Amino acid sequence: MNPVAALEPMRALSQVGTAAIQQALLGPGLLLDVGLAILRVQGDAPGLAQQLHAVYRNFPFRAAPGWADVHLHIHRRRGLRRWVRPQVVFRCDSEEPFDPFPADTALPLMEWGANYLIGRRFNDSLLFHAGVVERDGHALLMPALPGSGKSTLTAALSLRGWRMLSDEFGALDLQRGSFRPVLKPVALKNTSIDVIRAFAPEAELGPEFPRTRKGRVAHLAPSAPAVAARQNHAWPGAVVLPRWRPDGGTRLEPVPPQLVFPTLAFNAFNYAVLGAEGFRAAVSLAQTCPTWQLEYSDLHDAITHLEREWPAVVLQATARRAADSGHEGAMP
Amino acid sequence: MAWLQALREPEQALDWTLPQWERVLRLSRRLRLLGRLAESLEAADLTARLPAPVARHLQAELRYSRWRTRLLLWGMERLPAMMGEPPYPLVLLKGAAYVAQGLPIASGRLPSDIDILVPQEHLADAQRRLMAAGWAETALDEHDRRYYHEWSHEVPPMQHVLHGLELDLHHNILPPVGHTRVDMALLLARLQPSPSAPWQVFHPQDQVLHSAAHLFHDSDARDRLRDLVDLDGLLRHFGTLPGFWQGLPARASELGLSEPLALACHFVTLWLRTPVPAPVLMQIQQAGPSALRRAWLHALLGAVLTPTEPDQGSSRWQNLAAVALLVRHHWRRMPLRILLPHLWHKWRASAKVASDDVLAARADG
Repeated sequence: MNPVAALEPMRALSQVGTAAIQQALLGPGLLLDVGLAILRVQGDAPGLAQQLHAVYRNFPFRAAPGWADVHLHIHRRRGLRRWVRPQVVFRCDSEEPFDPFPADTALPLMEWGANYLIGRRFNDSLLFHAGVVERDGHALLMPALPGSGKSTLTAALSLRGWRMLSDEFGALDLQRGSFRPVLKPVALKNTSIDVIRAFAPEAELGPEFPRTRKGRVAHLAPSAPAVAARQNHAWPGAVVLPRWRPDGGTRLEPVPPQLVFPTLAFNAFNYAVLGAEGFRAAVSLAQTCPTWQLEYSDLHDAITHLEREWPAVVLQATARRAADSGHEGAMP
Repeated sequence: MAWLQALREPEQALDWTLPQWERVLRLSRRLRLLGRLAESLEAADLTARLPAPVARHLQAELRYSRWRTRLLLWGMERLPAMMGEPPYPLVLLKGAAYVAQGLPIASGRLPSDIDILVPQEHLADAQRRLMAAGWAETALDEHDRRYYHEWSHEVPPMQHVLHGLELDLHHNILPPVGHTRVDMALLLARLQPSPSAPWQVFHPQDQVLHSAAHLFHDSDARDRLRDLVDLDGLLRHFGTLPGFWQGLPARASELGLSEPLALACHFVTLWLRTPVPAPVLMQIQQAGPSALRRAWLHALLGAVLTPTEPDQGSSRWQNLAAVALLVRHHWRRMPLRILLPHLWHKWRASAKVASDDVLAARADG
């Protein structure tokens, strides 16, 4: 067990009242450890305490003081806007990088802003725009291609026993060569919400936001086991490029490494920033991770297909690492 | 502002507690000084001795600022060829000039764009050559375009699909219609070759004066502490050149920039302990603003240049000081016959955006 987890208080956000969360938001700040970073959230945005209570329900409740990497402040806009079409404003370190959002969308604004800052700041990792889940210690990376439905598939896998690392960031730690969780609620959009509700009626979804810039949005809360394991890395396993088709069966089509490389590299937030390091990391993943294009219309069937391939993926990755470490004479 | 000392004496940072570090990381990132701090600690081989949560932010910023510097270097390398080696001087300004000369302050300095200058009579030609090579003006409305062409010291910023940084093409260091007019012939007469031929740079004294004019003639000095750090670095570096200090006050007066130089020296000696020889400092202050003017300028600029703490908005006094300086700026920069129509247009444009906002909200609401 890792020492940080051992020191954490027992109570999760779901076990404390929204009043305590509200108090932290209005006072020193609520600390949310999402794995890659610790977020500190403050502000008087209406409904934010209830919304966080729902979608970060399994995260330990901690109030500042304490180290934070990213400082978010979401507050009501003052003046006339307090009364006429009220708005909420996102602030970080005294800067307001975005236009205000309508006041009833505090959580989407916070999530959007947090992702924006994470994508810009954490250049100690190569940040793929992708969903990541883990099984048997190995990561399945699903790059976000337009219309891929990576959030839907990430959510579905996480509801079928796979550990979710992230819905938005495949954070490849450049030193260790493994994926770090960036564990935040999965933002499900429009019909995805209904698909996931039908797929797993027990799924813990937060409040629905009917009108955001991306349409209707609801967030899936990361599960308690995923939260407890949010400091645990996962070795690279395989890459899947999902494509949802309204009709037709499930097809897993292997993709050659030379096509995997651009898909990975040009979908990363900070590929250019990392220069040669980013290039080497993307090449190495493309060369070593088996990759499939997954066409599917039925989530259950898609997951069955993936799980059929998985033992071979794990065997191959484990053998490769053993060979590498034997070659270099050191354990990773 | 004691933390600024760590930019030059990184050992000081070894004593900071985690809460102190958290504040410095937030402040310096916003002020675009985090890359500098990271390079300074890295050069002293101290990064590994810092707490892990701190070190990772420094290493991440190191990668970020080095990437921006690579973009700048690549732009600098490509531009002369893209322009077909024109037969007039090509001058690098500010950050690009610091990088080209390999100045210590260039290390970790986060560039936001590439600033270059050509003699005014060749401005149109330079712009034509750039556009032929694929650089394009950023989208502007008709008013802004006219404003740039008639009243500004640069053409609208340009972008290129293969280049990550915007390009600012200047023909003067200050707008030619302001109360202070800088005679560019004087600056062009003392151009120096840079190690990145064919690029040239201003004379060291003129680089200092340009940096001071840039900060103290600009409309908003909020969060511009980095400009003072630049000035400190330039003065420390060029201060060792023979004759640098002796000629500086006279050069400032020749260019009409005695006031910004006096203001710059006041703040860098006070806040960054920049070593300025005492007799030269006295001469500079005597040529600067009168005692009364100095009193209110120092108070207003001091308020505006003091960085806001990361968890606080700016104070009422700070906002007031910023507005006062903005009014002064516009007053000096543009005659009223230009300023009033400009402000009227800006007000109308912002009112239009606001009303469009309401209409759009009504449409989807």
